Amino acid sequence: MPKITFIEADGNRVETMAQAGNSLMQTAVNAGIAAIAAECGGVCACGTCHCHIEPDWFGRLVPPAVDEADMLEFVIDPDEHSRLSCQIKITDDLDGLIVYVPESQT
Amino acid sequence: MSDHLDSAIIFEPLSDAFAQDPYPTYAAMRAQDTPYYYEDADTWMLTRIADVEAVALDPTMLRSVSHLMNEQECIDLKKKMNWHDMPHHERFVQFSMLDSEGDVHTRLRKMVFREFTPAAINKHRQAIEIIVDRLLDALMDRPEIDFVEDFASHVPGHVIGHVLGVPENDRPQLRIWSEDIVQFWNIGRTEDDKRLAESATTEFYHYLQSLLAERQKAPKDDLLTRLLAEKNAGNMNEDELVSTTMLILKAGHGSTIDVLCSGMHTLLKFPDQHKRLRETPSLLKTGIQEMFRFESPLPYFHRFATQDTVVAGRKFKSGTRFGLLYGAANRDPARFENPDEFDVARSPNRHIAFGGGTHFCLGNHLARLDMDVIFTRLHERFRSLSLIDESPKYKNGLSVRGPESLRVAWTPA
Ligand code: HEM
Ligand code: FES
Repeated sequence: MPKITFIEADGNRVETMAQAGNSLMQTAVNAGIAAIAAECGGVCACGTCHCHIEPDWFGRLVPPAVDEADMLEFVIDPDEHSRLSCQIKITDDLDGLIVYVPESQT
Repeated sequence: MSDHLDSAIIFEPLSDAFAQDPYPTYAAMRAQDTPYYYEDADTWMLTRIADVEAVALDPTMLRSVSHLMNEQECIDLKKKMNWHDMPHHERFVQFSMLDSEGDVHTRLRKMVFREFTPAAINKHRQAIEIIVDRLLDALMDRPEIDFVEDFASHVPGHVIGHVLGVPENDRPQLRIWSEDIVQFWNIGRTEDDKRLAESATTEFYHYLQSLLAERQKAPKDDLLTRLLAEKNAGNMNEDELVSTTMLILKAGHGSTIDVLCSGMHTLLKFPDQHKRLRETPSLLKTGIQEMFRFESPLPYFHRFATQDTVVAGRKFKSGTRFGLLYGAANRDPARFENPDEFDVARSPNRHIAFGGGTHFCLGNHLARLDMDVIFTRLHERFRSLSLIDESPKYKNGLSVRGPESLRVAWTPA
């Protein structure tokens, strides 16, 4: 079970053991991260599961597909380490991943 | 097909009692081991949020199966639904992004999505403030109003008209067209209702054609101009453009009015929560989110299974029709602690009032912004707001939820 750390906008750290095969979005929702609104339920149709990946980790993820890249243009305050958490699949080699959660998605 | 347990439940979605308070019925349905089979509509009603979400997110569950039918089956279906002899309605209303799937849906949604992102929508804040202030200015010297008819029902026509680029003087007409087009779905449709829907669609179509011709000559900074550019670039045809415009109006019109009014009603019904919101304006965001959960204005949609499937632990055949009772799912104690309590600070609040999956509501940020501006202004401009009629009548039927009228007394600040 990979350990994932979410850092919320107010600095609060939430560490959680993720289930391989789940998405990073589901992991955040299960861990009670309210700011991951994930309103469309994970189909790349809303942009409200946006997060920032710790720079050291960013390049180690499978890069975004076209749908995700398109949607990332529309999220609030994107930066070069932005991803949609619903499009990231948890695998064992993500153990230690650090994710910054924006303050609000809407 | 219905099993004996169902008979314990009185599900009469057209009744006045259901309109006044559907939630005990929903709770009873949710408590059953299997979904409730509603014979009148040959539909399995889903009321638990886990089941509703699973079906909304299932790519094999579709809103429309007409693209899987042959020509004769399509004609038969239209006759059965009694909407085969309405050429404009068929072209622009029965066909829409909402009722398309797959590549067509993805392409059409892309054409408009950028216009409805939080950043794009926030640019309309000032315009919406002006619209709201003007409507309120005209009512200030009245000690009481009908919040539905005097105020809320004018908001979305003006706001959506502004977003589309409809000139101000023509915006009141949007409300009329929208209402005449959607009354088509009311229960007990007559030939007159059909004629009204068809003529409203036709008029709106001709009106849009004239606006588009103007934009062709003199482009502006508005949604119609940008849709026209997509059409000229070959990304959508004219029928798709017109139908998408009509969808934006009809999807965003009644729903906005209903949630504004049920939201107002709920706040006045729970004065403690209202006081809390007034004292801590930063709670408005969660408060609005809670209004959508508590009285979901579009509480019912449907999906068809396109293959044999399992829902709520039970097997169903391909072709089965499921009812997604968003309004019931949003009161599910499995997700929401004390679901029948209205809590303006509820967080997380993962409700499903805007649906889920690929058809997730395009206009949700606009709806939230309308609410944000309106409740902010009401709190700034009025010292007190109170209900005159303690139990206003709610609209009958399963597909909409909102008060018919809402008499409110107010005192300017
Ligand atoms: C005010 C409250 C509103 C509610 C509760 C609401 C709810 C919904 C829901 C539940 C759906 C998905 C239908 C399904 O699951 O089959 C939907 C779709 C849609 N909504 Fe909204 N809506 C609201 C306001 C608006 C507004 C203001 C607009 C536009 C200005 C809008 C435009 C749309 C469109 C275009 C779709 C179809 C999206 C697609 O097919 O991809 N809605 N809405
Ligand atoms: S949950 Fe909607 S885009 Fe990720």
